[in-house]
Amino acid sequence: MTIVSGKTEARLRLQSGWSGLPRKIWQHRADYAYVLPAIAVMLVVIAYPIYYTIELSFFNTPPGLQLRDKIFVGFNNYTAILTSQVFWQVTLNTLIWTFASTFISFVLGFATALALHRDFIGRGVLRAILIIPWVISAVAASYIWKWIYHSDFGIIGAVLVELGLADRPPNFIDSVSTVLPSLIVVNIWREFPFAMIMMMAGLQTVPDQLLRAAKVDGANAWQRFWHVTFPHLRNVSTVTILLLAVANFNSFIIPWIMTGGGPSNASHIWITHIYELAFGRQRWGVASAYSVLLFLILMTLGYFYVRALSGNERKDGSA
Amino acid sequence: MTRITLGGAVLRGTVSTALMASLMAAPALGAPPVDLSKWSPEYVRSIAGTQDFDTAGDCAKVTPLDYKGRLTFWYQGVFEGDPDLLRQYYKDFFATFRKTYPNIQLEEQALTYNDLLDKFRTALLGNAAPMAVRLQILGGTEFASKGYLQPLKPEDVGYSTEDFWPGAMKAVTWDGVTYGIPTNNETMAFIWNADIFKRAGLDPNKPPATWDDVVKYSKQIHDKLGIAGYGLVARKNAGNTPYRFMPQLWAYGGGVFDEATPNPTYKQIELDSPQSKAALQASYDMYVRDKSVPVSALTNQQADNQPLFLAGQLGMMISHPSDYNVMLDLQKKATGTDKDKAQTVIDNMRYGLIPTGPDGKRAVVFGGSNIHILKPEYVEGGKVDEPAAKAIICMWTSPEWSLKMAYAGSNPGNLNGFKTKWMKERLDSIKFLDVTTSMLPYGIPFPALPQSPEIMNIIIPDMLQNALTGAMTVDQAADDAAKKVKDLMGGGL
Repeated sequence: MTIVSGKTEARLRLQSGWSGLPRKIWQHRADYAYVLPAIAVMLVVIAYPIYYTIELSFFNTPPGLQLRDKIFVGFNNYTAILTSQVFWQVTLNTLIWTFASTFISFVLGFATALALHRDFIGRGVLRAILIIPWVISAVAASYIWKWIYHSDFGIIGAVLVELGLADRPPNFIDSVSTVLPSLIVVNIWREFPFAMIMMMAGLQTVPDQLLRAAKVDGANAWQRFWHVTFPHLRNVSTVTILLLAVANFNSFIIPWIMTGGGPSNASHIWITHIYELAFGRQRWGVASAYSVLLFLILMTLGYFYVRALSGNERKDGSA
Repeated sequence: MTRITLGGAVLRGTVSTALMASLMAAPALGAPPVDLSKWSPEYVRSIAGTQDFDTAGDCAKVTPLDYKGRLTFWYQGVFEGDPDLLRQYYKDFFATFRKTYPNIQLEEQALTYNDLLDKFRTALLGNAAPMAVRLQILGGTEFASKGYLQPLKPEDVGYSTEDFWPGAMKAVTWDGVTYGIPTNNETMAFIWNADIFKRAGLDPNKPPATWDDVVKYSKQIHDKLGIAGYGLVARKNAGNTPYRFMPQLWAYGGGVFDEATPNPTYKQIELDSPQSKAALQASYDMYVRDKSVPVSALTNQQADNQPLFLAGQLGMMISHPSDYNVMLDLQKKATGTDKDKAQTVIDNMRYGLIPTGPDGKRAVVFGGSNIHILKPEYVEGGKVDEPAAKAIICMWTSPEWSLKMAYAGSNPGNLNGFKTKWMKERLDSIKFLDVTTSMLPYGIPFPALPQSPEIMNIIIPDMLQNALTGAMTVDQAADDAAKKVKDLMGGGL
């Protein structure tokens, strides 16, 4: 073991001429060299598009002009968005879509994970079947559901009419009041298996001896769940919810394929609206401003996601 | 109820004549190869098969057949609603091109009507466009106005401007310069199921004469038989919607601008006029008041109406002559009793002219596609092989291939196509072709403006959806759409 006196340490620092952050970077130069290619790629495919999107959000891009002839309008795009009626409608749709899809998918996934955590015959088969919605193509699923919901000849409508429960097929996706809930059901169907898998993985980490000890101490099933199982799943729950929330905020395939955001914008969420603004209407500037706002929201969610992960690591490290 | 007055009739006659003259009149420089003033099913039959053309020989004068080069080419190709016959002609075209020009390395890519514009716009932003592109008629002006396209006129590939429909040439002209060549042009017709008409107590051999009749017939069919009367289509971002609603809008005397007049200026917005509102009201009456059209109209497109029609669940629709062949294709795929049911529908399928408005005005969208060459700076690699591009354009717009590629669903862009032996063969084999060619003189091109794709694909369907879902009243929906067009034309955000 080498003992370095205070004077020697100060001398070493002076000799190197560096201190603090630069010194740390220098000490880890090999690590930085390893990640440099990845950083370079990220700068090209992530940082530049982000920069360009922010820049573009300050320009007007009328359909008769090329993008290079764009007109600087300052914050007008942001003002136009915030004062537009469609923005508030689309934002409300996005919030309903995100919160309902995330919450119900999580609860359903968690409940299914708890059910499948018990040992019973056919558990493996059931687990495999329940994962199917998550693994099949979202595009294929959207087309299938579009036909299931079809307002004239959908399977659900046909069954209801056949059983005498309805005079005519219910209007699922051609009505402004039912379209969003109908799409949310499809989204939940597709993503609850993800929550189920995450929570099943989390359940594996709950110490069995604790549950047994609680049982010996007289705790009932609910008490064992609430005081033993659930606290152990808090972090994995947080991560699952955040991942679902980010995925739902960014969701595009189901609403776009099934309704294209219609009817009457009733199923437009931010992403589909941005897509239509950019590629259907060539309002690259307004679409970019929307994207910047969405980016900020997702970054906020990302921050909480990273914090949740860091929390896990700290707890694991301190255990 | 609207009365037809003498003044109205005179006015109607004047406008129709002027419109037909505008669409058909030959430019001063030369005469078209066919006499457009005589246009009728009989005339079309009389000229079919009267002239032979040597496509390879003609194109060799534009680009030598041993020319060595490379061409990237995107085109609006066949989609799920097209008949198998058309698929085969597309395959044959590319095989023939490769055989005719064995040293041109062709990299072609087919895209559907609804996807092409999005993909092409995106590619242009990254200077990654193909060297040549075949676009829907609606798209040419947008890209020409932005400076993406090279000037290109029929003379550049060995033909004459007069060889093409004057109305179609307008759609490829921006600021007095021609930027493309029409490949095909078509007008749709009115299709009905005679058996359904009969069972609903309607004359099976008489289509509705006016759009008001369509509303009445649709209700009668629905009330009597419990099935959808008219195949309304109101999906957003789908070309099918404007192709079906604009004829109705124009027939009632409305319009987005003055595009239905002989010399449109596109200055005055007409979407909020009483005539436009009357057209929208007719759709509202069918969808909301009478519930006589498919509920799924807001999310459906024409390809969804075809199986409904074949299943005997739809009484009337607007479509191409190719729908007859589509029905035959679908019927072949049906099994058991469905096959017989489908055959009954096909046997009872009838085509007629699209109904008129209350003042007797008949209109239809003058549709089609154009082919263009891109400027090198917007093309992947920064180079355009012009001789190779002109070779494929010469072939596609030739009398032979402009007819074959439009065999079942459209008409040749090159008027000489009507004189070929394949036109004669087509008249004998494609049922109801006469009716759709008869609609050509009533064709009105979409406004030749860069804003047209947004107006037709988004604003018009939005207007319909707002009214049909009850999100707005008919008046509000029309006023809202007019305001959107005004903002758009004013360069608003």
